[in-house]
Order: sequence, then structure tokens, then C-alpha cells
Amino acid sequence: MSYEPKLVGFLCNWCSYTGADLAGTSRIQYPPNIRIIRVMCSARIDPSFVLQSLGKGADGVLICGCHPGDCHYSEGNYKAMRRYPLLKRLLDAYGIEPERVRLAWVSASVGQRFADVVADMTERLRALGPCRVKTALQTDQIER
Amino acid sequence: MATKKLQVALYWGAACGGCDVAVLDTNEFILTVAEVADIRLWPIAADGKYKDIEALADGELDLSLYNGAVRNSENEHIAKLLRKKSKLLVAFGSCAHMGGIPGLANLVSKEDIFATAYMANASIEPGNKVVPRPTTQINGHTLEIPTFYRRVYRLSDVVDVDYFVPGCPPEPSQIKNVLLAVVKGELPPKKSVVGASERTLCDDCTRKKTEKKVKRFYRPWEIIQDSERCLLEQGIVCMGPATRSGCGVRCPNSNQGCRGCYGPGPGVVDHGAKFLSALSSIIDSKDPKEIDAILGTLPDFVSIAYRFGLPASILQRRHGA
Amino acid sequence: MDDLKIGVYVCNCGTNIAHVIDAESVRAYAATLPGVKIARSYRYMCSNPGQEMIVEDIRSQGLNRVVVAACSPRMHEKTFRNACRSAGLNPYLCDMANIREQCSWVHSDSVAATEKAMALTRAAVLRVACQEPLAGLTAEMCPTTLVLGGGIAGLTAALELAEGGFPVVIVERADKLGGNLTRVDLTAPHFDSARDLVRERIAHVRSNPNITVMLHSELRRLSGFVGNFTGEITTNGGKPTHVKLGNVVVATGYKEFDAGRVTHFGYGKLPNVITSFDFERMLRAGRIETRDGRLPQYAAIIHCVGSRSEEFHGYCSRVCCMTALKYANELKSAIPTCYVSDLYIDMHAFGKGCEDFYKRSSEVKTMFLMYGKGDHPVIRRAGSGDDCDMLIEVEERLSGEHIEIPADLVILLVGMEARKDATDVARLVNISQDKSGWFIESHPKLDPVATTTDGVYIVGTCASPKDIPDTVAQARAAAARILAKIAKGKIEIDGVFAEVREEQCSGCRMCNELCPYSAIEFDADKRRSHVIPAACKACGACVAACPSAAIKGRHFTDTQIFAQIEGVLL
Repeated sequence: MSYEPKLVGFLCNWCSYTGADLAGTSRIQYPPNIRIIRVMCSARIDPSFVLQSLGKGADGVLICGCHPGDCHYSEGNYKAMRRYPLLKRLLDAYGIEPERVRLAWVSASVGQRFADVVADMTERLRALGPCRVKTALQTDQIER
Repeated sequence: MATKKLQVALYWGAACGGCDVAVLDTNEFILTVAEVADIRLWPIAADGKYKDIEALADGELDLSLYNGAVRNSENEHIAKLLRKKSKLLVAFGSCAHMGGIPGLANLVSKEDIFATAYMANASIEPGNKVVPRPTTQINGHTLEIPTFYRRVYRLSDVVDVDYFVPGCPPEPSQIKNVLLAVVKGELPPKKSVVGASERTLCDDCTRKKTEKKVKRFYRPWEIIQDSERCLLEQGIVCMGPATRSGCGVRCPNSNQGCRGCYGPGPGVVDHGAKFLSALSSIIDSKDPKEIDAILGTLPDFVSIAYRFGLPASILQRRHGA
Repeated sequence: MDDLKIGVYVCNCGTNIAHVIDAESVRAYAATLPGVKIARSYRYMCSNPGQEMIVEDIRSQGLNRVVVAACSPRMHEKTFRNACRSAGLNPYLCDMANIREQCSWVHSDSVAATEKAMALTRAAVLRVACQEPLAGLTAEMCPTTLVLGGGIAGLTAALELAEGGFPVVIVERADKLGGNLTRVDLTAPHFDSARDLVRERIAHVRSNPNITVMLHSELRRLSGFVGNFTGEITTNGGKPTHVKLGNVVVATGYKEFDAGRVTHFGYGKLPNVITSFDFERMLRAGRIETRDGRLPQYAAIIHCVGSRSEEFHGYCSRVCCMTALKYANELKSAIPTCYVSDLYIDMHAFGKGCEDFYKRSSEVKTMFLMYGKGDHPVIRRAGSGDDCDMLIEVEERLSGEHIEIPADLVILLVGMEARKDATDVARLVNISQDKSGWFIESHPKLDPVATTTDGVYIVGTCASPKDIPDTVAQARAAAARILAKIAKGKIEIDGVFAEVREEQCSGCRMCNELCPYSAIEFDADKRRSHVIPAACKACGACVAACPSAAIKGRHFTDTQIFAQIEGVLL
């Protein structure tokens, strides 16, 4: 069976989730590889969600929040932004390609942007191939 | 009829010996232990052969304290042996609990380790690139040494563990508490962490905590610290807020940031990721360039965050090339 | 898991979902998931029969969890929560899978879309199993409102509230009411008396028994949350009075830009270069004259002093253009022989009657001279041979010429800027300022008088430069919002908020500064933090940051999110 990337998306309720809904009402098409999990604010995203997603078989993780300055909760997106650089360092140490995890700002009023981000990321994941973590962790075998 | 003495074994996997020394650091208490227990195996301190353990009935050992990580086939073999022969098997110390410092080897491959240790090294004679092999033929005999595994494991990755005593090493007073609890039969539900608090170091740390906002991080030698004030607030990395207490706050009391050896608090899935989230939250900036500059003052974050617990993390090790 | 009875409802949404997604397959798949007691597929789950189906199943099948795979929860989460509630099931034991806006409407590959719908449904089923019944809280709504600032904004808001029948306390820093309007003579574009306007308001305020006016007073501290604030107010720096409050209206106004900062205009050096407020003083005294007591033969008015400038403030102060026209008219009316020049960059005449006013002003023989943004006129003393006090050089855009005009009096239209104490006020009541120091509203278009702190409203020029009509409109709007809240009597606090589990909290204090609503307080005696549910907006920032994992994000717990992660990765 050919490889279809699995992309997990964490979207904040007020901007990005609404933007994704807008893509829907506008019938803007994008690849079906993404699975969205809603949170109230991108600040809710614990880095362990990203790691857990990769550990459970995701090939990529997309985190979306409001544009800087537009956060419904004032500065939540900045909190998400501040966690991102160190998370990138971890991913690098774990041998995970940087393109597999992305932080994007998507506003509620631009559905097309959401669709573009998803399409772009899906293609990148397709080019990268399956995430090595998937096969490695799915076996409980001791690697002797 | 005299009460049967407790049958106890202590074993070290991929270890440094510190946990065994910590047991000895309970001082006179060890004599009490010697009175109530027969130590059937303790490689660092007493005589005892594997075959004697193999000869025991299953469950004949009341308690086995296994320290050190599982790095090779012998570590695994003895772990399984002790599990079979023990009523209670305790992962003793950071390495057995979470992989410990040896766990950082999971950031590199076995090939890289062997290359550095045995081939490309200033202390190796040129031309002598001998790498350990599990079996060797000599004079018609087969010699075997344990197989070096591709990565480091926690004790609980290879056997079912009953209790976890955290610490690098566990604090001697906590060791006393645990041993007494075993003797009295007063242990909490299986799979619990024992010999530690249910909260993190900040609960026991007497330094004053006010506002956590940093504009840069400092190495401990870079500034003259205020010994009354929270280290993190002064920009010195301390994993205390994210690390289980019970150690007596040894490191912050010695003006060093906590290094996280007691592992995460209850309910935390990934110690390093949790600390990452907390530490990032105190960076006092909204500007991406400034944030990068502040993080530039934080060297080698991965080794800070996962110093003791990389094998216990969600992703466990470096994947692929 | 054994006592879980989950009902899964796959909506077809007519053909909106069903034309791409094989709803029956999703239903059949859902039926196999752990804890699922019943799985149905129906045309329109949000319709009455659809909702009744859920209600009936809860009652007859004993369902204790509900999953609806349908449109976006932003559309119908309330609907299905209400259905659960009416059947006696806690509304938070319900979850939705978005298989329309985020699936059938955006994917055309039926197989892939159906598989995705199954994954999303599975995630919802795994999540709902971890969801807990939540109860909201109610709190009292104190009917007293604090109005900070006794200018036109504050007076208007106070009157509206008081006439609504509720007590108001006006806290004014100065020794009289009226604010900046007391320094103004007439208003544009209709030349109404500002004094009359303000006096009328003050008289009403003074005679209204519901209003307590505290002059020479300051708010020192505000604690609590909407409906339950306590304000600490001092008068003349004396002992604080504690007042119980339900809401706060911030009407602290503006201050004018310091013209002395624009050195090329010579304010403070050239005696006949004055500001708009200096000119208002002259108008109120009834005498327009130069420093040495003469009637000016030549007058010049300059717009945008301190506004629309890269060096000072980038924004437009909104009122100055019409004020400039007002001055042009008043000068010509008082001194018909005076030559009046108006130096402007653009003429902002957007308000009601303002374009007409502009037209009329050009008919009274005012000379309009346009200069470029980024450019500026330069004022210097005239020579002894000139018949005027000063000369103004300007690169005039419409003619394209470098022009020199005479002036005996130059009026600088100084812009509005945030007061120096605005930051203190912002901290006091827990609101934010933008980079120019103006207070930030909840939403610039849809919610211009509320702030992100429930119960604190911002009205008038403290939020941004504006004229009297807009100020009064905002003041009344805030009052109306507050009256509506008071009418309800109690405030409902949603059941979704963060809570600190005390047995886990180590008192590290990482959370206290993180909360944009200051909803997490530290108890120094207990050495533990706790969340004020009414102030919490459930963003989850503290939940993710807490290094002890002591803060539980109700309804968005780590456990639930991990369940969703597992669920989507079918």
C-alpha cells in the first residue's frame, strides 16, 4: 500500500479552527491527510502533544494559532511561539526532520490560507516519506 | 523458631556504583539491615554467584533492588532472573527508573559509540581497531561477552517492576524509609514511585519565589547568585519546578540548579517536554529575534531536559541516521 | 470503561455530508468502538427529530456519553449540549466530530474522506470517554459601577447607569468634573457651547441621588472579578475607602501632545506660536490677540502636530481637522480682515455635517495650503522690514510651489496622546495598551467598549482619539451593557475553566504571571496557587506551562487530548 502521510493538526478555536471551517464553507479543497484536534488557544499546546503524535504514528504535526497581536486571549500565540524553538531542538536531537513539525498563523478570515498550508505541508511530508519514529516505536522488541 | 530473614538481592546494570554507595551511606542503618536480611547478591559489596540465584525457587527472594540501566544482554538476563526469583523487584535509582545518564547514549548510535570508544580515539594505538564481539574463538573455546544493545532501556522496558525509587542516587534517608516500609509491609499500590514526594522541589525549596520572567539564562559560574532567591528567577536553569522532590533539595541548597534526577512529578508523561513548556513560558519577550537571543544563552537544552530520562521519554531515542 | 454507554450519531446533513462520506460505514465502524452502546445515522441531527432521537436514547438506553459526527462544533455544540441537558445528561458529556466543514466539504475523494471521518469519530469516542460532568458556577452581580474619570465620557456613562436606577461612583483625579471639554469654547461643526454641554451633564450628575462624586480621588487597587470587585479609593491621599463594585468604566481621557517636542515650530520660543488649547483659552476669554496685545493680521493654522508622523505618533487624532476649520471660521468671524491660512496634509472630514462644514469654511476665504506627509512647514521670525511677526515656509503640493506666508499668530493643532498614567491605570484594572498607549478593546469591530477583562469597559478617548459624538455613544454603550448584566442579577460562570489541584501544586509560581486575566492568585500562607473560576477564560496557557501538571484544563485535559491523538491516528 502506498504511503499516505498522516498529519495531525492542533488548531486554536478562535482563529485557525474558524479559518479551517471557513475553508469548508467556501468549499476550498485540500488533501484529506490532516486530522484536526481543537484546542481553545495555541498556548494550550504542550510540546508532549507533538511528541506523542509522532510517537503514535503521525508523519507530521501542524500547530496553528492566531496571528501575533490577534490572539483572543491576548498573548496566547506568543506563548506557543516561545515553546517552538526548544521543541525544534528536541526534534533535531530525536532525528526528526524539521519540516515535519510546523507552527503557522492562520486567521479566521482566510480559509484559503489554511488550505494552502495543509496542501503544502502534506506534499512536503509525502516527499520526506514515512516518519522513522512510526516503525521504530511500533515494535516493542528490544533492539539487541 | 527464629523469624526467617528477608532474602535480598542488590544488582547493578549499566551503573556507576553510586546507588550502591548510597545504600552504604545509610551508615549504621546498614547494620540493622544486615541483622534482618540475608543479602544473597550484591556484586559491589559481597560475594555471590549467579548460579546461586539461579538455584533459588521462584519468589524466594523477598526483595531485589536493581540499579543501573539495561545496556547489554547481561543486564537484561539478570533483570529477568531477579524478576523470576523475587517477590518484589524495585527499580532503584535514576538509571533503572528512567534510563539515567547512560540513557543520553540514545542520542547517538551504537556504531558511533563504538567508533568513538574503540577506533577514533587519542588513547588507542594506531592500527588497533578492535571492537568487542559477543563471541570469540580462542584455542578451540568459545568465549562470550554480553551483547551491547543498540540502545539503553529502563528496567521496566524489559521486566515488570513493582516499585520505583528515584534519584541519582536516591537520598540515603529515603532508602532507609523504603527499606523500613518493605520490612513493615507498608507499601503503597504497586507501580508507585516510593522514597519521594508527590510534589516537585519548589514545595521543599526555601528560596523566595516571586515573578518568573527572564531576559537571559546564566551558567551558575557567570553570576554571583542571591542564595535566598529562586534560581530560575535569576536566570539559572533549575529543573526543580518540574522534578519530584524528596532529595532534600540538595542541589539548589548548594547553589546549583536542580538537574532533574528524581524524574517528573506524578501525571507527567514526558519530563523533558514538560520542562521545555515551563521554561519557555518564563522567557520575557514577544519578539522572535529576541527570543532566539535569549535561548542562545541556553546551551545544549536536550541534555538539560533529558539528562536522566531520555529512554523514558515519549520518543525514547534518536531515530534513523 | 465498563459502565460507559456511548451513543454515536452520524449526521448525513442531507447530502452535505452524505454525498462524499459513506455515513453508514462510519456508523457501522463507530458501533465497534469501545464503550459504544448505540450508533445511528440520520439525515439532520440538529433538527427536532434528530435531537429527540438523542434525548430518547439517553432516557431509554441509559446513555451516559454522546458523540455527534456532523458539522463544526462552532455551529451546533450548543444544540447538542442542550439536547443532553434536556434529557438529564450533563451537557459536557457530549463531543462532536467535525466531518462536514473539515471533511466532506473540503475533500472529494470519498474513500479518503470516509476513512478520515472514521478517524475523527474514533477520536471523539475516545475523548468523550474521558470527559467529566462539569457544573458552572453562579456569582452575585453587584449593581454598583465605578466610573474612572469625570469628563464627558464618564459623566455620560454615569448618568445612563444612574437613570437606570443603579448606584454609580465617579472617581475623578482633578478637583472638578468636566475633563478636557472644560478647556474648550465651542465645538465643531455646529459651534455648540462646550461649556453648556458639560455644565448640563454636571448638573444632572450632581442632582442624581444614585451618583456619588469623589473629586481629588484615585483608585488605588481593584481586586476580585466581574460582579464582585472591591475598589480601594483614596481622596486627597488619605485613608482608603473600600467600595464593592460590579463593573468598572474606564473613562480617563487623553492628554494633548506637547508641541515643544516639534522644534521646527518653535513652540515655547516664538511667543505667538500657540497650541489649540492655548487658542481655546483665548476664545473663552473672548479675545484673540498676539502676545503683545495686538489683533493678528495674519493667522496660520497647522494640522497634524504630533500626529501622522514617523517621529512622534503615527495615528491620526481624528478631531483636529474639524477643529482647524472651526478656528478658521472663528478667526474670520472675530477679525474679518485677518488673512487666515490653513496648512494641512489631508482634510479628514468624515463625520456628520463635516464635508459641508469644509465646503462652507472654504467659502469664508480661508487659504488652504497642502503639504506632504513626512514634510513640514518651517516657522521663523520675520525680519524688521516685514509687516508680520513670523514667516512660514511650506512646499505646497497643489501648486507645486515653495510658498512663504506671513503669520502673526500660529495655531498648532496638537494631537491626542495617551496620558502618562495610562499604564498605571491599565495595570490597576488589568487591561492592555497598544503600542501607542491606548487601551485595547475586546474586538475592534464587534466589541469596541468591552475589554478582555470581564466587567471592565473602556470608553472615550482613553481607548483612541475620537470626537464627542463617538465618545458619548461609547459611554452609553458601556452603560447599556452593564445595565443588561445587572438586570440578570447573577453572573453565570461557564463550567470550563482551569483548576489548580492543590495536592499537586508546589507553589513554583510559574502560572501567576502567565495568565492574561490575572486569574491565578498565589496564596502566600498555603504556598499554593489557585484559579479564580469567574476570571478564567480557559485558554489553557497555564495548563501547558505548569511544570507539576497540577493545573487541570477542565474539558480540555491532557488525558482527553492524548485520547484524541490516539483516536485520529487510526
